Amino acid sequence: MNRLDGRVAIITGAGQGIGKAIALGMAREGAAMVIAEINGGNAQEVQSELQESGQRALAVPTDVSREESVLAMVERCLKEFGRIDILVNNAGIYPVSPVEEMAEEEWNRVIGTNLIGTFLCSKAVVPRLLEQRWGRIINMTSGRAFQGAKDGAHYAASKAGIIGFTKALALELALCGVTVNAICPGVTDTAQPRGHRTEEELYGMAARIPLGRIGQVDDLVGPAIFLASDAAGFVTGQTVLVNGGAIMW
Amino acid sequence: MSSADKKVAVVSGGAGGIGAAVVSRLAQADFIPIILDKDEAAGREVLAELGRQEGRGLCIALDATKKSDVQRAFDRVLADYRRVDVLVNLAGGALYAKLIQDFALHEWREVIDVNLKSTFLCCQAVFPIMKARRQGAIINTASNYAVTGSASRTAYSAAKAGIIAFTKSLAAELAPYGVRANVIAPGRTATPRVMGNYDAAGWAAASSQIPMGRTAEPAEIAEGVAFLAGDESLYMTGQTLHVNGGMVMP
Repeated sequence: MNRLDGRVAIITGAGQGIGKAIALGMAREGAAMVIAEINGGNAQEVQSELQESGQRALAVPTDVSREESVLAMVERCLKEFGRIDILVNNAGIYPVSPVEEMAEEEWNRVIGTNLIGTFLCSKAVVPRLLEQRWGRIINMTSGRAFQGAKDGAHYAASKAGIIGFTKALALELALCGVTVNAICPGVTDTAQPRGHRTEEELYGMAARIPLGRIGQVDDLVGPAIFLASDAAGFVTGQTVLVNGGAIMW
Repeated sequence: MSSADKKVAVVSGGAGGIGAAVVSRLAQADFIPIILDKDEAAGREVLAELGRQEGRGLCIALDATKKSDVQRAFDRVLADYRRVDVLVNLAGGALYAKLIQDFALHEWREVIDVNLKSTFLCCQAVFPIMKARRQGAIINTASNYAVTGSASRTAYSAAKAGIIAFTKSLAAELAPYGVRANVIAPGRTATPRVMGNYDAAGWAAASSQIPMGRTAEPAEIAEGVAFLAGDESLYMTGQTLHVNGGMVMP
């Protein structure tokens, strides 16, 4: 028996990177997948990949920072699969600029996608989770929430905000069978860190990680499945750090 | 298949309430369970309930605060099974509920020893075994009180906070060998020993303080341990997994 049989999961930002790996992993455990992704082409590709291996999947181009887009995505999920059990708030952006030069528009975009997007998607699924008295919300945060980020103050603020939001929502939903937790990856071998690091810098970071390597997207899959499964029913409001020991919390 | 092909999990304190659940869960995950406990009869009973015969499980009686006892136990495990894949340190307990002015030094030291020193000794003994095989997972046990403290539990809180910092340090030392060390931090858990501290009304009140409105079942703590023991957490080390129904969110 698979651990997520019969479940329906929405993964935001699942067109690539960590979100895609979690989507493939949860699908292998039996969940139907909604690929909520701003890049329609990537979303379509993940949908095809899942369907070709016999899994249920639906690509929904979504801008998590816009409420109408989020509500439409949730509607399509319900129409296609009839329920929602798991939400993984993974969509995020990480542009780089020092605070002194940071445009208000860029600040709004980062907070809007990373933090407000997490709020909007959570808000949109909560009524369903409460109705069935079972649900899992998993929010992706970052080591930058703990240590800050030079030239990434908006990103650090958004990711620390996600941890605070996770705890507060966990308390709101604790008596209703719904858990809310965060996963904190370390530096991971995806496109995102390549926006502000060379290949050499990226792999060079392994030297400062106790387990001696940077993270791979598959490292995040097991923890996400654990938190989404019945096995973690008494875990809520927590942040699970999956970073090779780079930060120990 | 010879016994050397089977994964081995050593559970210190494996005869206790949470311990028995952890032993059962790890056995289900195909580990040969080895219980280290001062209560040998209880440990044997846990194995008997799992239908574990000699060779597919073992209980070794020891005082986990004594280096010679711990070393002898791990020598025996190594002689019989050639390997240790997982070590879970669950031995311990609060022992006393006393305000600091009433806490005798020998009592305070006893609490530190049964929780913190036993963890150190077992980790020290397993270190060369895991290092040689370049794999392994250690799971030490903390508590809500490691984060929040608790009036009348100064020693226990200090020991449990100590276990978290100890584990982070150990994780850094073990990482070059591919060995991981993490902490499970159970919240209030429905074991006979813990429930014995409350009357029915007190237990209900203590449960209602927890955001999820209930206490943990030992099996739920065991699920967290199994996660930290298995390959799904391969990139996690030095971390603390809190299983507490939202009671503490550090």
